[in-house]
Amino acid sequence: MSRLEARFRVEVGGGRFAVDVELGLDDGVLVLFGPSGAGKSLTLAALAGLVRPASGFIRLDGVTLFDSQTNTWVPSRRRRVGYVPQHHGLFPFRDVVGNVAFGLPRARRTAADPVVAGLLAEFGLDGLADRVADLSGGERQRVALARALAVEPRLLLLDEPFASIDVGGRHALRQRVRQTLDRHRVPAVLVTHDPREAFELGDQVVVFAGGHGVPAGPPEQALAAYSVTIEGTAVATVDEGGVRRVRLQDASLVAAPGSLPEAGPVRLVLSGGGAESAGKPGGSEDR
Amino acid sequence: MNVDLFPVALSLRVAAVAIVLVTPAGVALAWLQAKRRYRGRALVDALILLPLVLPPSVLGYFLIVLLGRQGLLGGALESVLGLRLVFSPAAAVIASCVVALPLLVKTAQPALEAVPREMEDVARSLGLSEPRVFARVTLPGAWRGIAAGVVMAFARAVGEFGATLMFAGNIPGRTNTMPLEIFAAYQAGDDGRALAYVLVLTALSCGVVLLAGQLAPRGFRS
Repeated sequence: MSRLEARFRVEVGGGRFAVDVELGLDDGVLVLFGPSGAGKSLTLAALAGLVRPASGFIRLDGVTLFDSQTNTWVPSRRRRVGYVPQHHGLFPFRDVVGNVAFGLPRARRTAADPVVAGLLAEFGLDGLADRVADLSGGERQRVALARALAVEPRLLLLDEPFASIDVGGRHALRQRVRQTLDRHRVPAVLVTHDPREAFELGDQVVVFAGGHGVPAGPPEQALAAYSVTIEGTAVATVDEGGVRRVRLQDASLVAAPGSLPEAGPVRLVLSGGGAESAGKPGGSEDR
Repeated sequence: MNVDLFPVALSLRVAAVAIVLVTPAGVALAWLQAKRRYRGRALVDALILLPLVLPPSVLGYFLIVLLGRQGLLGGALESVLGLRLVFSPAAAVIASCVVALPLLVKTAQPALEAVPREMEDVARSLGLSEPRVFARVTLPGAWRGIAAGVVMAFARAVGEFGATLMFAGNIPGRTNTMPLEIFAAYQAGDDGRALAYVLVLTALSCGVVLLAGQLAPRGFRS
């Protein structure tokens, strides 16, 4: 049985915009992928209990959070679902500790609480500037993640978590986030329009287009149009002139239909971020 | 020159009571208008603004029609509770409330709107009920704007003239607030006495404008 299972329709503006979504997740990270305005964030809000779908159901760990047929609706505050919005939603009138511990009972809202102390140490938040307004994008994201994890959620929802972070720092942060999710063993749903993010973080992908969000398998399959895979066996390696040349045997390129020529010479240059797009943590494709 | 301190004390007392009454209602109204979309919201918005636009004498007239001895509510108040509002300090409080409320709502509302929904949604996901979301997120985020609204509303309440004159009258030792006293003193040719109250009110207003400026809401970094 899936931990998270949902099929619903969300409408906004009196039905002027609607999206039909189907999704399921056992463990790991489910990526909601698609262009802006496709309904990804709305779907996340529905999972968080912040927007009530028009019809369908949402089940998490065997508990029905929403079912239009039985008129079931569990509000956000009773879902135990961690929510990290796009701009992190930090509370500027609280310091770092006050933010991280915000969801805990009053007596535990201190750096001396074991859970709070553990998260501060884990996320490197000890001794950070007290004013959250002075934090960098990456630090803000860490505070938001730690705050969501402090209440031990059953599911974590991340809305474009790298949107406000410099492009250069995203790769390392994505690795960190993935490690964090694995360490806390909390399944996550992540919204992104960036195929690189989907490849690096996702186990399963739901693709959003034309008012529908449809399960499309693992990233390699769901996002074939965004990737080129080189498969083969390395038989000789030469380092010369600052580059490494690897000769492959039985090599083939795997990419979306129509994206590669059928015959004739092929030269493919993966540069900078392009190569990164084919990378996955622990994978063999590095930049 | 004989300057009586009673109008000063009365004005401050009337305005203070009015603010205590108007603040919870005004903040609740501002929150409703800032955070909820409902049918008839535009109408409520117009009704809130109306006392700001209507001539104070018209407001006073309406208050008499509603709460006067022969008024729609006033008659019942008098026969059932033995309460007679007209020409009492309570009437001055009510007149001040009516003119102070829109100023409070219209200053607090943008401050409440400026608290990002994202922050409130995070609080909900962390297990906070709606009243707690308000107390722990919306209010701390908007308190400067709300405080500025309260200060402005207080100044407006102290300075209320037209509706107070109509509804509370100008009874020496009972309802003669500073603005009424200025008018009366000037009419009687006692310019010195008028000037004394003018100076007090001017100083008070200057202080209020400065304080409200200090309290101007600061933006949220997203």
